[in-house]
Amino acid sequence: MRKFETFDPTRREALKASLAAAAAAGGLFGAMRGAYADTLADIKKRGELVVATEMQFPPFDISDNGVYKGVDRELVDAVAKELGVKVSYLDLPWTSVLPGLDAKKFDLCIAPVTITKERMKRYLFTVPIADATAALMKRADDKSIAKPEDIAGKTVGGQKGTSQLEQLKAFSAKLPKPVDVKEYVDNNQSYADLAAGRIDAAVNSLPNLAYAAAQRSDAFAVVLPAFGQPTYFSWVGRLDDATLVDAINAAIVKTEADGTMATIQKKWFGQTMDLPKTVPQPSI
Amino acid sequence: MHPQVILHSFGYLTQAAGTTLAISLAGIALGFVIGAAVCIARLSREAWLARLGGVYVSVFRGVPLLVLLLFIYYFLAKFGVDVPALAAAIGGLALSSGAYQAEILRGALAATPPGQAEAAVALGFSGVEVWRRILLPQALRISIPPLINEFILLLKASSLVSVVGIAELTRVSMNIASLTYRPLEAYVGGALFYLAINLCLAALGALTERRLAGERG
Repeated sequence: MRKFETFDPTRREALKASLAAAAAAGGLFGAMRGAYADTLADIKKRGELVVATEMQFPPFDISDNGVYKGVDRELVDAVAKELGVKVSYLDLPWTSVLPGLDAKKFDLCIAPVTITKERMKRYLFTVPIADATAALMKRADDKSIAKPEDIAGKTVGGQKGTSQLEQLKAFSAKLPKPVDVKEYVDNNQSYADLAAGRIDAAVNSLPNLAYAAAQRSDAFAVVLPAFGQPTYFSWVGRLDDATLVDAINAAIVKTEADGTMATIQKKWFGQTMDLPKTVPQPSI
Repeated sequence: MHPQVILHSFGYLTQAAGTTLAISLAGIALGFVIGAAVCIARLSREAWLARLGGVYVSVFRGVPLLVLLLFIYYFLAKFGVDVPALAAAIGGLALSSGAYQAEILRGALAATPPGQAEAAVALGFSGVEVWRRILLPQALRISIPPLINEFILLLKASSLVSVVGIAELTRVSMNIASLTYRPLEAYVGGALFYLAINLCLAALGALTERRLAGERG
């Protein structure tokens, strides 16, 4: 074996190097954080509520040149004021939001989540923050769709894993000719395909569609009425954080009583809507 | 096509490009340190150390970066290790890139003709001098093109760090697309920034190569 061809650290050097590497890794991976005993008490002690959402869901969550805006932002600010704490916001892809909640990376998911029976088993829902009834959007110049039933035999797209897409499938089964359902990673891709003519309609909740159509009235129009079962959006917490979710609920109900909620709704939806004061039993 | 969408979001895209660049450079630099250490380990005469290096390369080259990032950020949290998003992003890029860089460096060392080192020893060079004056300068020169290649790949792969909540270039392009309902413009804007950064990286690589080639003469 030629000596110069192999680098030959002694055991002592190797040990030193690995200790240094371990120390560096320890520093990199940051401090250990113990499990929460009581999330609400912890938030009050920290003086900060940490929330997460995907900031690609207008009008609820928007990142406008890096500034977080939208219904959720204004509502959670009002809620945090009620709790007497500051808020910090995380922008995560939707697929990372619920895993992040489970992993305790933040306290509350403020992405609007449709209340369904299946999801109630895994998460604790707050009282509703908005209407989530499924509706359709078409191209503004498409005369062949005037009411929801007109999508029979046509191609409709929606975001994978959403309750609105499930409602579309149920609706399709009742039509004379089934709908060809295309599933997308997020709603914005289905809007893009709608504009491009690859699909005939996009499914989403009525508030989302109304906002999209208002932003691009040259391209899109909402098909009224909403076809889905009445459903609602809520925020979600972890199952064992009942005290936190109770406090959030009380604060949301207070924003409805003092007119804050109505102001937010007028600003983003163009109209006010009444919401249940308790978590409704889901119909889907 | 509405170019004003890109112009309106220019500051936002620039900021995101800065994040992408900073995270990638940190990942590349830390990855180089890891790569050099793993390469040294793999060439070691200590069998356990060489095997450890080999296992490192197999594992981190074999696990997709996306899975690695999710593992560091979400899975370690289940064991009470709370890795901050930035550390998870840089750490994930570095751990993954380190495996590739180790192999690039090992390949470059192997490509240096053994006769040269033998001749240097015959001429009375010490072991350290053989490394410093004969092997490393040549290995460095050989490894520049594949290293630049790896840096460009890493920079593009850094779009994955959005899964831990970092607003890098691709993520911000998506944000703009969802805000404006104009995806084409948003992604063209993002792509132009990637292209600009990578052309700079490639130019830097070409410059370094020319410099090192000049030294030879």
